[in-house]
Amino acid sequence: MSRPSRSAVRWPRPRGLRARLLVAFALVTVLGASAAAWSGARSAGSALVASHQRQLAGSFTDRIATIAPTLTYPPDQEALDRLRAALGTDTVVTYGDGRSASGDGSGLITEELRAGVRERHRLLTQRTVVGGTPWLLIGTPVMLTAPDGTRTPSGIEAYAARDLTGVRRQVDDLTRSAIGTAALALVPAVLLALLAARGVLRPVRDLRDTARRLASGDLDARTRPRGTDELAQLTVTVNEMACSLQASMAAMERMQAEARRFAADVSHELRTPLSTLTAVTEVLTDTTGDMGPDARESVDLAITETRRLVRLVEDLMEVSRFDAGTASLRPEETDLAGAVRECLRARSWLGRVDLVAAEGVRVRLDRRRLDVVVANLVGNALRHGAPPVRVLVRAEPDHVAVEVTDHGPGIPDGVRGHVFDRFFKADTARARTPGSGLGLAIARENARLHGGDLTVDGPAGGGARFVLRLPREPLGPGDPRERREAREPSEPREA
Amino acid sequence: MGRAGRAEERAGDLTGRAGGRRWHGSGTARRARWGWWVAVAVLLAGCSLRPSGVVDEGEAPTGVAPGVTLYFVDAAGELRPQLRRTGRLGTVHEAVTLLLEGPGGSGMRTRIATTDVTRVAVTATDGTIELLVPLAAADVTPLGIDQIVCTALAAHVQAGGARGTAVRIRFTLPGPGPDARRTCPLTG
Repeated sequence: MSRPSRSAVRWPRPRGLRARLLVAFALVTVLGASAAAWSGARSAGSALVASHQRQLAGSFTDRIATIAPTLTYPPDQEALDRLRAALGTDTVVTYGDGRSASGDGSGLITEELRAGVRERHRLLTQRTVVGGTPWLLIGTPVMLTAPDGTRTPSGIEAYAARDLTGVRRQVDDLTRSAIGTAALALVPAVLLALLAARGVLRPVRDLRDTARRLASGDLDARTRPRGTDELAQLTVTVNEMACSLQASMAAMERMQAEARRFAADVSHELRTPLSTLTAVTEVLTDTTGDMGPDARESVDLAITETRRLVRLVEDLMEVSRFDAGTASLRPEETDLAGAVRECLRARSWLGRVDLVAAEGVRVRLDRRRLDVVVANLVGNALRHGAPPVRVLVRAEPDHVAVEVTDHGPGIPDGVRGHVFDRFFKADTARARTPGSGLGLAIARENARLHGGDLTVDGPAGGGARFVLRLPREPLGPGDPRERREAREPSEPREA
Repeated sequence: MGRAGRAEERAGDLTGRAGGRRWHGSGTARRARWGWWVAVAVLLAGCSLRPSGVVDEGEAPTGVAPGVTLYFVDAAGELRPQLRRTGRLGTVHEAVTLLLEGPGGSGMRTRIATTDVTRVAVTATDGTIELLVPLAAADVTPLGIDQIVCTALAAHVQAGGARGTAVRIRFTLPGPGPDARRTCPLTG
């Protein structure tokens, strides 16, 4: 990888299934055809070479056998020259110390061949390559045959070198034509590969499309299986998976709806006895003056807890309305700064809060819901944070924002993502607080009902900062579906 | 073509994410690639003529001899070979011609009638040598026929001819029997 020379010769690796099938088919075909052509060419070539060599050697001995009876024996130099002349060029004839040679090729005779001729007394050949030219070396003793057929070496040896360039050219031609034939096989291989790739790729594409539709939420998506191969089995399996997914999703939704309805029913059923209880405690409040200190403490506790219970039930019913999608928005033209100031004034918080409000910002929003949100945020800041608590109202081109900042210890990073969860308490040791545990959840639902959002972060100076952003034009009240879709992905823990 | 191209593009898109796992550089792949090249090189090299060892191509040629072997009859009446030192083997024709000229001063005898005409016609066919001798069948005893047959066969075998060859002798005046194919009783 680090060497540039390697990366320069690296071929692009085929990625698509089609390309890979194509390459595999082509490779297999070329290899198979090459192997067949090569083995054919090789055996034909070696047969050609062998027959040529045999012919050369045969012709060599035939010439010796023809001229030998006319040679004087023991041979003199003239006899050796005659024999050599009869055998053509590139020939050596020896007898003892006598020697007759002609041609450059006579120097090619190897010692190995000479030794073989002397030991075996047979006609021997050896192929050699000198300077790129292939030569056939032929060597033979001339035998002395007795009338009864007994053969003894006469001492005469004849050697010759024969050029094999012509045969090599023929063999090379054979090889070339074999390679050409192998290359021809590539064309049908590519066509076959394309056909096979089509057969494989179509079901794969269909499956992929189905998987995409399933992933994007269309649980009715299915692929019709074709044939009985592995791809068809895969298709059937994917279909079964989609079916069971659909069934479990439906069951989950049903259970969720039932749970919500149950919560709504419970809170509704609790409201009537609670009204009675509230009325009773109010009567008790008027009569605490006649009681002893112990009794008064008990009554005060009962009153506090009853109020908390009432608040919890109200919040639960509000959450149920959000869950059921029946929460409705009643927007009206409102002066934002005035609405916030009115909210703080009604709770006598103006003195404890540092309000910085941009005046004259008018937006359409649900005053009651804004009041709920601001009261919750400021209440939390006063209760859990530390002064000074700052409320900042500002206007942006496309939205308005209400920021509530305190200077308390702030919210740890780990739990910041959970503060909007229902019944979430940042400090587990301090479980009993006046709040219902639903305040922030309801505040965020209210913000989202407006098409806005409620977020929390920790500014550099410490403390916690909640930012309520509302669009200048809120969503219409009759569009609960859109509101739900905007909410669901960000709260998977709700189930 | 347009459809196929689009499909390939989409298929590439589908598998492209897994393409991050590369194995070009791994040792196994590199060894495998070297293996391919070696195989191709061997294939190509196997096609041309390479040097070889010493190969046996058969019988060595023969045919040289210090003289001609002629067959005469010794004092005991037995067929005997005699080397006539002519310096070379010569042909069947020359051998039989020399035989017809007689043993000379060697002390051997011949059972072939002397004749002034020693011209012999030799016709070699497959497995048989046919001799046309300038003699009448009556001029030659059976031993004399063996002399001719053995001499012709010896020259034939010494020149590299097959040992199983037979000889048929035709006379200018044929004898009563058929022209039999004969072999030499000494050399089989």
